Amino acid sequence: MTEPFAPSAVDALEPWPDTVDWRPVSPKLITVELITRAIWVAVVLVGLTVGLVMQGSGFWTAGMVVVVLYAIWRSFVTVRAVRAWGYAERDQDLLVRHGLLIRRLSIVPYARMQFVDVTAGPLERAFGLATVQLHTAAAASDARVPGLPPDEAARLRDRLTALGQDRSEGL
Amino acid sequence: MTAEPPSAAPDGPGFSAPPVGSGADASTAPVEPRRRLHPLSPLLHGAKTIAVVVAALSWQTLSQVGLERFALVVLVLALGVVAFSLVGWLTTGYHVVGRELRISDGLIWRRNRAIPLERLQAVELRRPLLAQLTGLAELRLEVVGGSKTEAPLAFLTVRDAAALRERLLALAGSLTARDTAGPAAAAPALERPLLRVSNRDLVISQLLTPQAFLLPIGVAFVIMQFVLEGSWTFIGIASTVTAMAGVLLQPVRRVLQDWDFRLARDPSGRLLVRYGLLETRSQVVPLNRVQSVGATWPLLWRTQKWLHLRLDIAGYAGEPGSDNKRSDRLLPVGDPATARALVWDVLPGVDLAALATSPPPPRARWLNPLALRYLGVGLTPEIFVSRWGLLTREMHLVPYARLQSVRVVQGPVQRLLGLATVYADTAGGRSGQAKDRDLAEAWALAEQLAVRARQARGPAPLETDRLAPSAVAAPDAYWQRPTQP
Repeated sequence: MTEPFAPSAVDALEPWPDTVDWRPVSPKLITVELITRAIWVAVVLVGLTVGLVMQGSGFWTAGMVVVVLYAIWRSFVTVRAVRAWGYAERDQDLLVRHGLLIRRLSIVPYARMQFVDVTAGPLERAFGLATVQLHTAAAASDARVPGLPPDEAARLRDRLTALGQDRSEGL
Repeated sequence: MTAEPPSAAPDGPGFSAPPVGSGADASTAPVEPRRRLHPLSPLLHGAKTIAVVVAALSWQTLSQVGLERFALVVLVLALGVVAFSLVGWLTTGYHVVGRELRISDGLIWRRNRAIPLERLQAVELRRPLLAQLTGLAELRLEVVGGSKTEAPLAFLTVRDAAALRERLLALAGSLTARDTAGPAAAAPALERPLLRVSNRDLVISQLLTPQAFLLPIGVAFVIMQFVLEGSWTFIGIASTVTAMAGVLLQPVRRVLQDWDFRLARDPSGRLLVRYGLLETRSQVVPLNRVQSVGATWPLLWRTQKWLHLRLDIAGYAGEPGSDNKRSDRLLPVGDPATARALVWDVLPGVDLAALATSPPPPRARWLNPLALRYLGVGLTPEIFVSRWGLLTREMHLVPYARLQSVRVVQGPVQRLLGLATVYADTAGGRSGQAKDRDLAEAWALAEQLAVRARQARGPAPLETDRLAPSAVAAPDAYWQRPTQP
């Protein structure tokens, strides 16, 4: 009883390009992510430096080089990853897409929303960003939108709760 | 349709409950007094804990400290545990307030939980061996979002537990509870038996498992070891047997658990599941709480054409791992005809024997070299069906109305091949998945699932039924209606 699909030429990153209005997340998220990574790298480098001073073997230097190279590579990835985040509000559901290596797209109907989280860490707050996460009863659901300006986050939250309330029902 | 029966009564926070059970008016009746659990509960709890403690002390300790001291330690622990349970019993109370069950417990950290009964997924009555001997039962309520069973009321007398269960379900199930929850609800409801699994089939089915085949090998290994080492100490044998029992006796546990498996429908269409030998369980599942159904055809059962059916309910999702604890059986073992009839009962309109699926494109062979033939998904008017598995074949049926979200995931290798996997998430914990579909098809599938989930939930007639008439008339009640048909 499988129904015939009508697969037309679809771009991998742009499903239903004519009907969906994708919104990007704020580019400031790149800075936040880079600073977070820089802090971690600094901590690791300090640890490695202590090791180098105490023991003084080439192993520690090699470790530092690896960490720095990894950090630089990840930074390039971060820039592209943040640009790949996107969300779209449709009449009935919220679409969220993200990921570069593993690409993910989530479709979450508003009616299935259980609650909405708005979080902002200290660094995010410093840059005026917030994260909105939509939770459904399914643990596997994955609808998180980081890097939103506070007013946009508040608008999204209010819209989601309004739509969720209107349509909520039992499971 | 997920629509609960419509009702004239408004339903929402702040609304006082309709008079139920007692027949007293909600506005005049004082709040129902808190009730205690049965006085024998602390003893039973204590016994359970002591068994765990003895198991933890192990045979090794027994051999080291000697029998008297061992008994003394156990006795002291037992007294402590019973005293502890007694305090717990004294501070635990429950009562029904409106459409909520309130449970309070704890001595130092007081905890009050209010369980909204509209959110009730299933109710289970468990009677472990000791409880059976003393005529007690444990009432377990499953609610969504709890990481474990939220309110295990242990223990009540069987009659109290059954009455409370009927009352909670009447409050939870329908908003028209007033019609059913009168004195008539106390009368035994007429059930329609659906099926009974013969114990012979159950035993045979569990003999046809890998563990059962391994058991003789394990026993032979242990005997060999003792013969070679020549040390026949009681302690040695006992601890080896205990260790082996945990792993190899799963079939035995299964038989004990699923013993005398019976299914029935009650007049209001709920599913009644009863099973168990040492610990009997009796579960009531409203049919609109079924999140998904899974069917499994194990390799060794294939000569008999048997299969196993599983029922996913939201409350059990978070319960950790081992399937002994979970009560998710719909059919422990059965032939295709039985299973077909049963699936038709649980998911009306779904014929297990007529579920066609389409395979992924041939290039998915790179990712599934052997099992490609057995992968497939299909859309029927009611459900999303997916199947997989080379040796143990499995099928997962998800009604559109129960879909929580849809995801499309594409890994790096899949991107090279132009494939993607579509997940259909439910609150039952397991997702239906369409593995390695062609990308364009995956998008179309995701869109189809989203659209069908929306249609299955209905174009929101539900809310208008529940809202007060004035709210329905208000124009802003319509502004979010779907624009497309």
